[in-house]
Amino acid sequence: MIEAIELDKCTGCGICDVVCPADVIHMEPAPQRGGIAGLQSTFRLPVIKYREHCITCFSCEIFCPEQIVDVHPSVKNRPRPW
Amino acid sequence: MVNPPKKFDGVLIETDVLVIGGGAGGMLAALSAKRHGKAGTRVTLVDSWTIGRTGHTAFSNAWMIVAFPEDDIDGILREIVAGNDGIADQVLVREVLEDSFARLKDFEAMGMNFHRGADGSYARRPTRGLDLARVMYPDGGGLEFCWLLRRALEPIGVQLIDRLFITGLLRDGERVVGAVGIDTRSGQFHVVKARTTIICTNAITFRSGFVRDITGTGTLLAYRAGATLRNAEFSYVRPGTPKFYFEGITFAIQEGARWVNAEGTAFMKQYEPDWADEADVPRIARAMAAEKQKGHDPMYLDMSAIPEPMRDTFIGSKVKWMDYFFRKLGSEAKTDMFGKTPYYALNQMTKMGVRTGADCRSDVPGLLAAGLAQAGCANHFAGFHIGLCVGNGWIAGRSAVEDLERLPAPTADAAEIQMLHTETMKPLDAAAEAQSDRILRDLQQIMFAYDVGILKRADRLERARAQIDALSREFEAIAAPHVHELVRLKETEAMLLAARMILCASLERTESRLSHFREDYETRDDQNWLAWVDITDRNGELDLERTPIPTPLCSVEPVRRPARLKKQLAVGGVD
Repeated sequence: MIEAIELDKCTGCGICDVVCPADVIHMEPAPQRGGIAGLQSTFRLPVIKYREHCITCFSCEIFCPEQIVDVHPSVKNRPRPW
Repeated sequence: MVNPPKKFDGVLIETDVLVIGGGAGGMLAALSAKRHGKAGTRVTLVDSWTIGRTGHTAFSNAWMIVAFPEDDIDGILREIVAGNDGIADQVLVREVLEDSFARLKDFEAMGMNFHRGADGSYARRPTRGLDLARVMYPDGGGLEFCWLLRRALEPIGVQLIDRLFITGLLRDGERVVGAVGIDTRSGQFHVVKARTTIICTNAITFRSGFVRDITGTGTLLAYRAGATLRNAEFSYVRPGTPKFYFEGITFAIQEGARWVNAEGTAFMKQYEPDWADEADVPRIARAMAAEKQKGHDPMYLDMSAIPEPMRDTFIGSKVKWMDYFFRKLGSEAKTDMFGKTPYYALNQMTKMGVRTGADCRSDVPGLLAAGLAQAGCANHFAGFHIGLCVGNGWIAGRSAVEDLERLPAPTADAAEIQMLHTETMKPLDAAAEAQSDRILRDLQQIMFAYDVGILKRADRLERARAQIDALSREFEAIAAPHVHELVRLKETEAMLLAARMILCASLERTESRLSHFREDYETRDDQNWLAWVDITDRNGELDLERTPIPTPLCSVEPVRRPARLKKQLAVGGVD
């Protein structure tokens, strides 16, 4: 399951959101960095919104250009038949 | 009195061929429609997530059976049909095999690299349960395969729409004229008007396989639009563990691994005297379920016969996500995998698909099916999942453009769109609590029970059906607070209907065949059951009928175990 994204190193590119097959990561408006009055910042950062639906596919970690996403290999939400 | 329609905003897309689902079947269907269509043919491919990066194919090894012109195609057809216990459309399977070499050349032209041996000849591997067929795989596994396919579709003008979750098929009388859906992030309503529509959304799953983003809801939409579904009683059940996903079981077994029960006894020979541990996946699952029934669980994969250095080859994979997985698991991977982790048999996906002819046309005008959403086979062979998708996608794309000539331009009926909009958005309620996960867990518990999902018996199937019906009634009252949950809720709704179909079809088939094992009807009965169980909607009720399976090309007699599955290449993270 996805553990964490090091947001202080994040460029806000949004690739983790694009490649997630389970809609777990959403890019959301982030506090402006050096905002200018009257201009709306488009800067956004990833939010782990639905962690419980992570399928542990590692896509966000594999495709992150900054290598700042950490997915733990244990698959806690996998169904058990018996 | 009719209420005035509620105003709604949305997007209208007009196209000639709409392909729903961006896996191997869908991407090949789109490619084929462009290749076979006249200049200017509009082809639109939609997927609920990002085309090329998500879905079942993207997370697979992209193994595919490829028959070379000099291969014994009739022999391969014969063993695939036999391996399906006769549940196969022989004409379709033969065409898929015949086309496979040309598709390999297409893939290479897209920049895919297929593994070659030291002498420069293609590396071709045998696959579990088949003797003559050979599988091939492109470098980079499914992620690279899907991405290069996406990149090949863009410059030929296929319109790619990511994150569009289809919630209903648009109808004009009996005919399907496109689909409606929602953007999976914004929730914005979309209408896609199309002359022909190809469903390529995989078979339904209960979020059980590794790739739990696939749910296969398209087949159920086809059913609601009048199509007939088949093969509901068959499923792909394979050994799994709660902790990790081990793709190399087949090759571990070829190297000497054995299934053992809690007492340490190797049990497969007892159930499958001919094939033993090399039996195909459904038969391993049945043996595991039978051992469970006898109280001999948990079961383990005993790797002690495999020399220590060779074990390392099982850790690591050419498939990127699996490679990350094993690497991050570290030494735990080794200790767990080699004998310490209990295994069970888990239903990865059902085999229910849309009934079509060998041309991939369904019974509904304007509606076709490809990929695993098409019921051409109920197989479980590594390499013939994607192999089949590549082939039937190609056929479906060609049939769809042929139909463009025959079918008039579609008319979109505002009342029909209004009705579909209402149906799509109805469960959305900001004040609601997300509950589909709870319903899903209950559904999984009912359907994954070893004595319902694998070892079936009439009384237990009926009890499960009553439980599913009760769960469906409970489900009717739940709503979704946001778009994320709305998508999951609609997927769960389709799963509940599919569960009912699986139980009804399993009750109907009073024999044992392929992955369908009835304790109360233990033997295969070709006299009465060389037939498909077909399910059609009749005024909201499931109507089941038996359709004899034609055998125009080969017999359905079982094939004896080959002398020894031949080892050709080093093993390593492949199923």
